[in-house]
Amino acid sequence: MISLTNIHKSFGQQEVLKGIDLTVEQGDVVAILGPSGSGKTTLLRCVNFLERADEGKVQISGLTVDCKHARKHDIVQLRRKTAMVFQHYNLFKHKTVLDNVTEGLIIAQKMSKADARERALRVLEQVGLSAKINEYPSMLSGGQQQRVGIARALALNPEVILFDEPTSALDPELVGEVLSVIRSIAQEGITMIVVTHEMGFAREVANRVVFMDGGSVVEEGTPEEVFVRPKQERTRQFLSRYSSDWSYVI
Amino acid sequence: MGKSFDLSLVLDFVPELLRYLHITLIVLSGSIVLGLVGGVLLAVPRLYRIPVLSQLATLYISFMRGTPILIKLFLVYYGLPELLKPLGVDLSRTDPLVFVIVTYALSDAASFAEIFRGAVRSVDKGQTEAAYAAGLTTFQSFRRIVVPQALIVAFPNMANTLIGSLKDTSLAFSIGVMDMVGRGQTLISATSHALEVYISLSVVYYVIVLVLEKGFAVAERRLQRHERKKEVRGPAVRAERLKRIAG
Amino acid sequence: MSIDFNFIYTSFFQILKALPLTLVITIVPLIAGFGVGLVTALIRIYKVPWVYRIADFYVSFFRGTPMLMHLFLIYYGIPLIIDKLAARYGWAFQSSSIPILVFVLFAFSLTAGAYMSEIIRSGILAVDTGQMEAAHAVGMSTSQALRRIILPQAVGAVLPNLCSMFVGFLHGSTLAFTVSQMDILGKADVVASVSLKFLEAFIAAALIYWGLTVIAERITALLERRVAVYSKGGVS
Repeated sequence: MISLTNIHKSFGQQEVLKGIDLTVEQGDVVAILGPSGSGKTTLLRCVNFLERADEGKVQISGLTVDCKHARKHDIVQLRRKTAMVFQHYNLFKHKTVLDNVTEGLIIAQKMSKADARERALRVLEQVGLSAKINEYPSMLSGGQQQRVGIARALALNPEVILFDEPTSALDPELVGEVLSVIRSIAQEGITMIVVTHEMGFAREVANRVVFMDGGSVVEEGTPEEVFVRPKQERTRQFLSRYSSDWSYVI
Repeated sequence: MGKSFDLSLVLDFVPELLRYLHITLIVLSGSIVLGLVGGVLLAVPRLYRIPVLSQLATLYISFMRGTPILIKLFLVYYGLPELLKPLGVDLSRTDPLVFVIVTYALSDAASFAEIFRGAVRSVDKGQTEAAYAAGLTTFQSFRRIVVPQALIVAFPNMANTLIGSLKDTSLAFSIGVMDMVGRGQTLISATSHALEVYISLSVVYYVIVLVLEKGFAVAERRLQRHERKKEVRGPAVRAERLKRIAG
Repeated sequence: MSIDFNFIYTSFFQILKALPLTLVITIVPLIAGFGVGLVTALIRIYKVPWVYRIADFYVSFFRGTPMLMHLFLIYYGIPLIIDKLAARYGWAFQSSSIPILVFVLFAFSLTAGAYMSEIIRSGILAVDTGQMEAAHAVGMSTSQALRRIILPQAVGAVLPNLCSMFVGFLHGSTLAFTVSQMDILGKADVVASVSLKFLEAFIAAALIYWGLTVIAERITALLERRVAVYSKGGVS
């Protein structure tokens, strides 16, 4: 169970997050949507303290960290309960695909090399990249690199996987393969928070949708509620811009 | 110079000079090793913006890179004994070799610090973020993710610094070190064949530099094996390219 | 520790008097070196038969040996050649009448030429191949294209390196001290020997060089900002 309470964040004079509350139950797939500048990516990065909120609390299954007075030790503990998939993949360029996945397991989770390797092979098979385990990231396509990123996150067995616009940097024809991987792990019941522009995907895979604008949560609910019967005018405006791009289904 | 030029003397001088090659190499390796350590110590405060230390480091680096090596040699030669006098350390009978290694180490440290700083900053921040997201601590992320990638960027520059340092060691004789150049000076006094001596010296340095450059080129290629294989830049491709540029 | 700070101050101005000579020893080789470097770069790129091998060796040798060696090789070698030629052709000319400064400038010009050659060569090679094709397409001959399109961009390649070249040769000018030139270091040595305050004199000299280096860095930074407008696209 993840809960964010009263998250405030400013960059200089600009207040980007204006007191956000969010609760995520186990097994939820939460899609966070909104225009650029709405603060959705910042919010996501506050969960694992890649951005440090000015005020508020982050709680992940029992561990609560106060953002204002967070200690290094607590932050590391919190990060070990989460995993992240980045917009630009951020695979470790100097390590092979296999080593990318085992790195966190061996170093952060102190797993033995053999166990780490076993788990890595399993998740890499899950994302369909068993053939590439000894390749370097520079030799893979964007879609393949992102799938490795997903495998890396999966292997860590976190309480929640955070997705920061996972398909935004991909060529259109590669988006599909990544979305189908994300869909399959969602179906396994893994808790996920996904910041995305892919409306059709959000509608199909998420069980909760959160719409943010200007640093606050404007509306939230099931995909049905938000997409079909939006209550707020801003939500309606935002959705109308995307109404033609809804189906990116494979 | 009364005696006539004799090219065969060059061949005679080279082995004689090589007998002192080890001194040059001791100076070089001592200064490089200490310089690497110093370079890291200087780079860290600036990279992590530690107050006071980072300003001092910046000042130190600016001074080291702003003064000629000969001046630095003299400063250390005359200054170090003065500096250590109040501590009761008497350097009046120290081998000038020590002063030379100290000078070059201090100087190389500044060069390496600049190289390290640039290299670390060139590593994409996303790499560090991914490491943090996977649960690595600051230190683990730095050591396992940033440093290996930074080293690859830094390597060519470090190689150049090393070769530059080798050439700089030719000045050590000015404070009395008996290295190859020092031996050359005594040979000149003995035989008055200065030109031949300097030709021999030049040949020795040239060969060492060529060997080092080859070695570094090989090492660099090995380090970059994780890069995408670029278009083959063989001689045929290069010739084609030159034709197109030069018309 | 006994450092006479007052003496550092007074000797500073005494030593500064040698600045003009230091600047001459720095700048003249840079200018001559640019010319030499440009010619050798072109020879190497166009692979002028036989000559390019000499050019390649020249660049490789002068970049692969200490600058001190260059100075001594020229200082001892040229007089020998001149005297031999004078004896052969009956010139009323002796190498000893040539001021040492000439040898210094000549040696350093050769050094500068080798480094410049490499910079210019890689600068020209980095020029987009399309530039020459475009020049031809507009109707220019090769030499016109070279002069008006390629070479200006080659000069642009040197500019970022200008600071490090200037500083490099400023520092290199101290080698002239070994052949008894009265540059900043030479003057400092004299001041030191007279007063026996070696440390103070050399500290003053160090400060002068440091100051000159910082000034050079600032000026080139200013120049680069001016030129940056044109090289936004990334020439080299």
